[in-house]
Amino acid sequence: MSKLVLRDVSKTYGATVALSHGDLTLEAGEVHVLIGSNGSGKSTLCKIVAGSVRPDSGRVEIDGKPVAISGPQAARTLGIGIFYQELSLAARRTVEENICLSDLPMKAGLFIDRATLSDRAARYIALFDGVTGEGFAADAPVDTLRADQRQLVEIMKTLASEAPILIFDEPTSALDRAQVDRFFEILRGLKNDSRTIVFISHRMDEIFAIGDRVTIIRDGRTISSMAIADTQPPALIRLMVGEKEELASASAPAPAPDAGKTALAVSGLSGPGFANVGFDLKHGEILGFGGLHGQGQSAALRALFGANPYVSGTVSLAGHPVRIATPAEAIRQGFAYVSGDRRRDGVITGRSILENVTPIHFLRRRLALVRPGALRKAAEPAISAMKTRFAGFSHPIDSLSGGNQQKVVIARWLIDRPDILLLDDPTKGIDLSAKADLFALIRELAAHGMAIILYSSEDAELLANADRILVFNGGRPVRELTGEDRTRYNLYQAAYEAAFGAA
Amino acid sequence: MMARILARYPFLPALVIALVLLALNGLYQPRSVSLIGLTGLTKTYLALMLLAIAQTYVVYAGDIDLSVGAIVSLVNVVLVVLMERWGGGGVSIFAAMAAGLLVGLACGLINGLVVAALRLQAIVATFATSIFFTGVALWVLPVAGLPAPTAFWRTYGGRFFEVPFVFYAVLLLALVLYLMARLRLTTQLLAVGDDAQSAFQSGLPVTAIRIKGYALCGLFAALAAFCITGDTASGDPLVGGKMTLFSVAAVVLGGAALSGGFGTVVGSVFGALIIGLINSLVYFVGTPSEWQNLVQGLAILIALMAGILVGRRTRR
Amino acid sequence: MNGIPPLFRQPLAIALLLIAVLLVLGEQLSPGFASMQQILRLLIVAALLGIVAAGQNLVILGGREGIDLSVGGIISLSAIIAGNLMNGADAGIPLAIAGCIVAGAFFGLLNGLGVTLLRIPPLVMTLGMLGVLQGLLVVIRNGIPSGRAAPVLSQFVTQPVLFGLPGIIWLWIAVGLLMAFLLRRTVFGQRIYAIGSNEHAAIMAGVPAARIRILLFVLSGVFAAIAGICLLGYSGSSFANVGEQYMLPSIIAVVFGGTSLAGGKGGYTGTMAGAVMLVVLQSILTTINIEESGRQMIFGATLLVLMLFYGRGRAMRT
Repeated sequence: MSKLVLRDVSKTYGATVALSHGDLTLEAGEVHVLIGSNGSGKSTLCKIVAGSVRPDSGRVEIDGKPVAISGPQAARTLGIGIFYQELSLAARRTVEENICLSDLPMKAGLFIDRATLSDRAARYIALFDGVTGEGFAADAPVDTLRADQRQLVEIMKTLASEAPILIFDEPTSALDRAQVDRFFEILRGLKNDSRTIVFISHRMDEIFAIGDRVTIIRDGRTISSMAIADTQPPALIRLMVGEKEELASASAPAPAPDAGKTALAVSGLSGPGFANVGFDLKHGEILGFGGLHGQGQSAALRALFGANPYVSGTVSLAGHPVRIATPAEAIRQGFAYVSGDRRRDGVITGRSILENVTPIHFLRRRLALVRPGALRKAAEPAISAMKTRFAGFSHPIDSLSGGNQQKVVIARWLIDRPDILLLDDPTKGIDLSAKADLFALIRELAAHGMAIILYSSEDAELLANADRILVFNGGRPVRELTGEDRTRYNLYQAAYEAAFGAA
Repeated sequence: MMARILARYPFLPALVIALVLLALNGLYQPRSVSLIGLTGLTKTYLALMLLAIAQTYVVYAGDIDLSVGAIVSLVNVVLVVLMERWGGGGVSIFAAMAAGLLVGLACGLINGLVVAALRLQAIVATFATSIFFTGVALWVLPVAGLPAPTAFWRTYGGRFFEVPFVFYAVLLLALVLYLMARLRLTTQLLAVGDDAQSAFQSGLPVTAIRIKGYALCGLFAALAAFCITGDTASGDPLVGGKMTLFSVAAVVLGGAALSGGFGTVVGSVFGALIIGLINSLVYFVGTPSEWQNLVQGLAILIALMAGILVGRRTRR
Repeated sequence: MNGIPPLFRQPLAIALLLIAVLLVLGEQLSPGFASMQQILRLLIVAALLGIVAAGQNLVILGGREGIDLSVGGIISLSAIIAGNLMNGADAGIPLAIAGCIVAGAFFGLLNGLGVTLLRIPPLVMTLGMLGVLQGLLVVIRNGIPSGRAAPVLSQFVTQPVLFGLPGIIWLWIAVGLLMAFLLRRTVFGQRIYAIGSNEHAAIMAGVPAARIRILLFVLSGVFAAIAGICLLGYSGSSFANVGEQYMLPSIIAVVFGGTSLAGGKGGYTGTMAGAVMLVVLQSILTTINIEESGRQMIFGATLLVLMLFYGRGRAMRT
């Protein structure tokens, strides 16, 4: 008998169909991978099982018995624990309070039992002994932690539910190698405990390292399920994106940069999180920033864009030194910046697509009045260059899937083309076809003379798309890879150099 | 280091400001820091302290209650009218106080229901309930002036074993607050204020928790009304109106974040004390009477700004 | 809410419908309530509230828990300043208007600077400012006599000037058109919505968020000052704290107009209807013959019921 069976589950938000037909069968003692491009309905499916989203239709059975999951509390009593992609932590509460938040131990029926709480939390913290990193402590408020550490807390919190069914919706996106390895070790232990585990990740290597079975979701439908052993990454990707879509080819040879003029010269740039960053960037060139996650690549890009401060160093544009203190100034100087954290840095939530495409146009043309007709005409080519699927300019941007939202955000930079495009992990959480569209566009922009810096947390993307790669470590560029040197091996080696040296 | 200490004791800046103000009070008017002076101060501002505590419990969860003043008024008139109707003796006083607590609790529950269960916006919804509660208060006692029984206000202003009654009250309050800080509900309220959606997804009964916060608020507002009644010795259907905004100011002075998830009730008590000490200091330094309000207003504004800036700086 | 047809989920439609219902109800309770003359009187009062609410609306749209509690103080201050500068003489009107607008802009600027540069939450900043303004009023009242409105001003507010409508109603219509233009057809308006929806993303898209937010508070101060002048014209002379009765109602009018207190969503047309609705409701309660206590209870309860139609928070489980 299967542990959990989901039949014909659906969910629509207004006109948007988040999940049209979800079928899922989970067995005890397996790691079940859910795979699908963004906006395909994975998270919706998980949230329905976890009780935080109310399905429009469908049936759920646990251990063969039909059940009604009326809310997160009910899901917990039914033995379902979940790791939320966007995390469910209380930022000002401590690590241990967060781990036990769902079920705070009590004494005398009213008061918190601090001793029990600490003991219980310590058990789960101990699982990650040695990989939690600096500043991680049981009594540290969560808002003092780094992104990877918060993700670990959410994992511990999920494990602390001790539920027979554990759902992990992208639990590894901010974790480093060692943390992922430890996490997988724990998952294997749970599997032997005959627990049921759902695992979502965009990283193929992880999926094949930990998964037993896989279910593919496309456009809100569960397409098929199979044993991981019976499939290969290319086959999965084909199922995910559908046959018609063209794939980003990781092995596409990057054309040599034109010997154009220098667009941007940076030297000795230092600030919070990065130090002594220097490089020349030519027109038509794509410069990659590589290295492990969070080694100052983002911070340096944000500083160039005026979103973060820098303390020393010089920046010159086409030979003229500039000092940029705000994004508005950077934009006027011809910079563009696309962040992977679109919910924070990109999308103007709740407003129309038109309003999301136009702010840069207003600024660069120094407009004071809004003429919707003219604006639509100006925005049309930019938005169609990105192959954005959307119903109309007046629709709210929230009605689009994540990938399409990011396309709209990128399109806002294309109405009046910038000279220098800063891409800060722009494909984070975006599906494969959107990625392919994006990189094709970037290459085309470069061919027209735009100077581009690309930071990506996915090495394959960097290797396929950057003409040169500056590898960061501990906030500094430590190595430059050009031409034949741009290999996965060299990238890893440079990224881990400091760690090897210290050992 | 400082950040760590402040994260644990967010009320420290308020305590320091209060102590400095107390010292200044003593400098300009030595008698103000005598037993009699401090008794008077406590007697007058105990109500605001309790009301600030009341406000804190809803602010914890990221809510706000603009009806606390109206609840104070309502409980005040209910208390005075019932005490008179039931004869003014010892038993009637206790019975009326019990009724007052129930009225406060009921008001809190109504607020909790409209804000948390019906999901109305807290600022406007509690403003609407404040109009309603004021209407009820006017119905109970249309005009101010009905005196409270002598036994009631004599007790509040009196002494036992040479120690003023209000100090016992403060002591008891300290004990209650100590225990309440350890309530599971307190942590839950703070978690809800931190991020309601996260708290809900973690399986916390968010709506019930917020309603309980409002209920606690109503109860403490009723206690504040007891103190007002003890201090003014009469019923007035509009007595609490002006206290609402001061209670919010006290909470902010005490280091709590109006967005929720951060703060302490102890801080709010100091916040209320700061307001009281500013008012008395302005008087003691000999500010001409027509300038007093302006100076008080400026001092409170500066204290509010300073408190927020200090709190943020040390919290990174 | 699902049973309600979409049209009636539009805040503006609800408000207009309710205004009509209230007028009919008022006419039933007290014949003559819905007479032209009476309606004009209501509109004058609504215009006063509506002008304050325009500034309130802008601050709320700008987000980051934007709210302006100091408008109550600024209205009172403006009424006193205007009364003294004109003191019953028409010649003093231009100076009075200039003085009031400068004062309103000044305190709005202080609010805006506190909220942006020092990052004080708007509720706290404007609450503190309200305390300062109340103190300032006491000082001013002690130093100088409260002045009187100039005849032209009183006429402008209370007597018909064009097509049978008093000047203040024309003024309000102008404010309405200005707000609609500002919010829909200017880049400034788009930027207000942008910072109200996602301030961080707006800044990353080059929107000067701080400058815009400061300007919103300045405008709120100016609108409150204008309302203060009109209030003086309406009542003839200023009296203590006249403005405070407009403070929270101005927020309610905005909410009843369908603007979310979370910012970034809404507009002024609804707010105008919201202001009329509030005034009509209050007026009905004063015409029916019951005790003040009953009136307040009904008013409070009605507000709560009406709020059920507006801007209810999102359910936790969707």
